Amino acid sequence: MGRFKDAAKYEKTIFAVISITTFLLIWYLVTKDTELGKVLAGPVTVFGKFFKSFTEPLGTHVIPGHILWSLSRVMVGYVVASILGIILGVTMGWSRLVEAMFRPLFEIIRPIPPIAWIPLAILWFGLGELTKYFLIALATFSNVTMNAYSGAKSVDPVLIGAARMLGASDSRIFMTIVLPASVPHIFAGLQIALGSAWATVVAAEMVRSSEGVGWVIITGQDTNNSVQILVGIIAVGIIGYVLAIMMRQIEANLCSWSERGK
Amino acid sequence: MKKDIIVCRDVKKSFETERGIVDVIGSVNLTVPENELLVLFGPGQCGKTTLINVMAGLETVSFGVVTVDGKKVEKPGPDRGVVYQATALFPWLTVMGNVEYGLKAKGVPKKERRERAQYYIDLVGLTGFENTFPSKLSGGMRQRVGIARAYCIEPTVLFMDEPFGHLDAQTRYLMQEELMRIWEKEKRTIVFVTNNIEEAVYLANRIVVMTNCPTTIKAEFNIDLPRPRDYVDPEFLRLREEISAIVDKTL
Repeated sequence: MGRFKDAAKYEKTIFAVISITTFLLIWYLVTKDTELGKVLAGPVTVFGKFFKSFTEPLGTHVIPGHILWSLSRVMVGYVVASILGIILGVTMGWSRLVEAMFRPLFEIIRPIPPIAWIPLAILWFGLGELTKYFLIALATFSNVTMNAYSGAKSVDPVLIGAARMLGASDSRIFMTIVLPASVPHIFAGLQIALGSAWATVVAAEMVRSSEGVGWVIITGQDTNNSVQILVGIIAVGIIGYVLAIMMRQIEANLCSWSERGK
Repeated sequence: MKKDIIVCRDVKKSFETERGIVDVIGSVNLTVPENELLVLFGPGQCGKTTLINVMAGLETVSFGVVTVDGKKVEKPGPDRGVVYQATALFPWLTVMGNVEYGLKAKGVPKKERRERAQYYIDLVGLTGFENTFPSKLSGGMRQRVGIARAYCIEPTVLFMDEPFGHLDAQTRYLMQEELMRIWEKEKRTIVFVTNNIEEAVYLANRIVVMTNCPTTIKAEFNIDLPRPRDYVDPEFLRLREEISAIVDKTL
């Protein structure tokens, strides 16, 4: 078994390397001494600039500094909204009354994309950090709530019956059955939410900020600097990927009991 | 004279479905004395599970009354343990976590709780698997955990709803033997549901044969064969034939 698994893993890695190399090679070829090369910088220039910006600041910060700024914004909005979302979602799944009260409201707000709130957020909270937190929180909240809700809804009633038979009170059933049974769903929600929170911070920073990866991209546009835009985009891509991997790792550790978590 | 633990008087149960009201339990009068192993035997889908659920308090009666140890049954409680058809273990808890769950709910201090849970884990033969999650166990082992979990709250009655129905034939024989060993060591009143005649005759002190839906009691058989029983003993086979002959035939 182990050998086959290893072989499958190597195969995956090899294909990943091949596909990325091919992509970079095509990028290199179509931009080298061509018309396209005049509007789109080649990979050598872009990655050169990307690594150089680790020491040479873009604006007020080096690129890791910008990344940390964006990440810190995401963390504030994401953590607050995740906690609220889990509480509301699981409660909605557990209590019919809460479900009846919040679900219709929620269904209307849910399909509105977070960036549609930008103008209103600026009117309410100004151009400072609060607006960004608010937008990120919105992007996080609906994903987390919806998944926590469906998790709590889909708890096997036989398990609840079993807990009741073993003498558990309602509050104990909530804490020891409904909540853990929802964990895989909650994690799916947290994962999607982190992706959309990361996308939203970039959008929010592009509207108005003086640091962060979104600022790197929008300033590139303002100064007609396509290299800088691409540097910003690469930073967004890499961090987004790293965040997704981290979440999957945490989930695998927390849900080692579930079939999916293996 | 042994004490009557379970008493069902004129128990009826109907469900409201799209096709109207369906009577599942016709009218059942049944008493189960202390430490009896009673087998409810009947064709598939005949309402045996509903009868057990009513006795366990997982469903309410439509008419009549069920008492366990003199108390009227209205909701599930730790005086009535249930071993489910599809184990119903808590997948996020280890074997130990599952077995001690009931004691934890009762507020038994950790040291005593662990000792008692360990006793029942050992009893069902799962020593060494305390920290294993159910997803890593075989079907037979999961049922052992289910039995230990129900035993551990030390209930007055244990209900077992076709607990071995999903197991392969070999494991099934083994688990029947195991259940007998456990029951001989820790006597309890057990109501065991099955549609397997061999299992019924092997386990029961008394077999109650149920009719098709709406279910009522068709016949009763006291099984006095010495234990451990032999599946090919002539008397065993004769009883098996006799009981099989009177069961309603359904598809």
